[in-house]
Amino acid sequence: MAYFIVFLLYPALSALYYSFTDWDLRTDAAWVGLANYVDLLSDDVKYPHFWKSVQVTLQYTLIAVPLTLGTALAQALLLNAIRRGSNVFRLLLFLPVVTAEAAVGAIWRWLYDPQYGLVNSFLGLFGIPGQNWLNTPELVIPALAFIAAWQCGISMIIYLAGLKGIPDSIREAAVIDGATPIQRFWRVVFPMLRPTTFYLLVTGVIAALQVFGLVYVIFSGGGGRSVTGGPEQSGLTYVLHLYLFAFRYDAMGAACAMSFILFVFIMIITALQFRFVKQEAS
Amino acid sequence: MTTSKKVRLAPIYIALVLLVAVSVVPFVWMLATSFKHGSDVYTKVPSLLPLDRKTGDWSPTLENYEHVLQVGGLGQAFLNSVWVCLVLVPAKLLIDALAAYSFARIPFPGRDKLFVLMLAGMMVPTITLLVPRIHVTQQLGMFDSGWGLIIPNVASVLDIFLLRQFFLSLPGELEEAARIDGAGRMQIFWRIILPLSKPVLAVVTITSFIFHWNDLVWPLVVLNDPELYTLPLALQQLASSESGRAYYIMAGAALAVVPVIVVLLIFQRRIMQGIAFTGLKS
Repeated sequence: MAYFIVFLLYPALSALYYSFTDWDLRTDAAWVGLANYVDLLSDDVKYPHFWKSVQVTLQYTLIAVPLTLGTALAQALLLNAIRRGSNVFRLLLFLPVVTAEAAVGAIWRWLYDPQYGLVNSFLGLFGIPGQNWLNTPELVIPALAFIAAWQCGISMIIYLAGLKGIPDSIREAAVIDGATPIQRFWRVVFPMLRPTTFYLLVTGVIAALQVFGLVYVIFSGGGGRSVTGGPEQSGLTYVLHLYLFAFRYDAMGAACAMSFILFVFIMIITALQFRFVKQEAS
Repeated sequence: MTTSKKVRLAPIYIALVLLVAVSVVPFVWMLATSFKHGSDVYTKVPSLLPLDRKTGDWSPTLENYEHVLQVGGLGQAFLNSVWVCLVLVPAKLLIDALAAYSFARIPFPGRDKLFVLMLAGMMVPTITLLVPRIHVTQQLGMFDSGWGLIIPNVASVLDIFLLRQFFLSLPGELEEAARIDGAGRMQIFWRIILPLSKPVLAVVTITSFIFHWNDLVWPLVVLNDPELYTLPLALQQLASSESGRAYYIMAGAALAVVPVIVVLLIFQRRIMQGIAFTGLKS
């Protein structure tokens, strides 16, 4: 019990407290009221990249989440259609999930290497010119979202469980009624997967809004612990920005304020998603 | 299997093979690069095998591994990671199981309210708790130490929740019978509850191991001393300081990834189960 008070309850409350202070973790925190919040949201001289990081994160979420869910659903449908070898395929599709963020970042930096990377030489087979993926501001987010889709195995497993839960009789009835496979998918299978999709959507959005480890690894360079937000801050996600405030610029108060803004934002998004689905259901 | 069924399934298998290629080729390329001589890595046409660039002969080398294990500090980091997991995972299992048991079976005042409060605490994003948790760890004198890696992670609300659900599903009559026979609470816990819970304990153990073996964020913020670095952290350092030498980085990535892949291959069924429950702690 003491554990939760020390490592869960107390941190949650003190994060709220510190968000109203000016604090560098070494000295005592000085109460500044709402100044952190106001400055973050409106002072673009003091916090020049705040809105940029919001924009980057929203863009990432909008691309990565649908891409991940789409890939996961496609994989699950294919796996569900076969018997022989489905365990082996599932295992291989799942490999990227158990891979450490640090390794994922390192591997993909090498895959995206503009000169020698596998991604560009693969595209070269189709006559598509190679890109400098991680150094071109417009390409950074799609490149990161692709990695997220590559790691869609958890969603795939959950979709697969959802598909197994659809009774065969319903499917057979649709076949007897003469529905084509595409009709069967849109009219029968997809609607029955709606609760699964909704669950994955909510958790996926929450996770995407907090993406950090991967961008940290991909955009740290030059030795030591220096880390950038990528070319023109195009990979500066919200949590990466928060991390920089807390552990690079010693602005713990501002970092706590940022984390609470994120917390409230996540709550709002989650509530909206629930309401949206409720309306659709009624 | 009839011929028409085979024809119908063919496109499905082709699609699956393509998807599996996307998820697996990065690993193959990682391993190939890690066994290549430096001079064979940067070739115009990338090769998925460690071949000599001039003659095309099979020429793998272990030099990269020797280099990163000794000079790159990954040997030490590997040992650190093993040590942390060996201490952390069993300790966590014990504490989570004890807490779950008391939430499931011991009626103490305010229990259910406390449980709900704990679950609500799970809604707070990890990142919000990061800064204050570091502060707590500092005040407890555990910052930048092995204990700082372990103690703050030694209980997980999600695992307690999982275990509690399982304990609740065990028949209460067993316990009553044991109590009549004169068994104390701890005896019941050790002799009856834990042996009956092996499947769920296995799930929690394996997912915990994978999660902590891969974890980057907590070691990143709690450690300063490179001697204490865990594998993901050391790999991240290596990736940023040796960014021009992919063969070293890939050897490091392989060191981080291969143990988990081995665990995945051995325990695949339990892991898939665990994912459906926990989403690998995400």
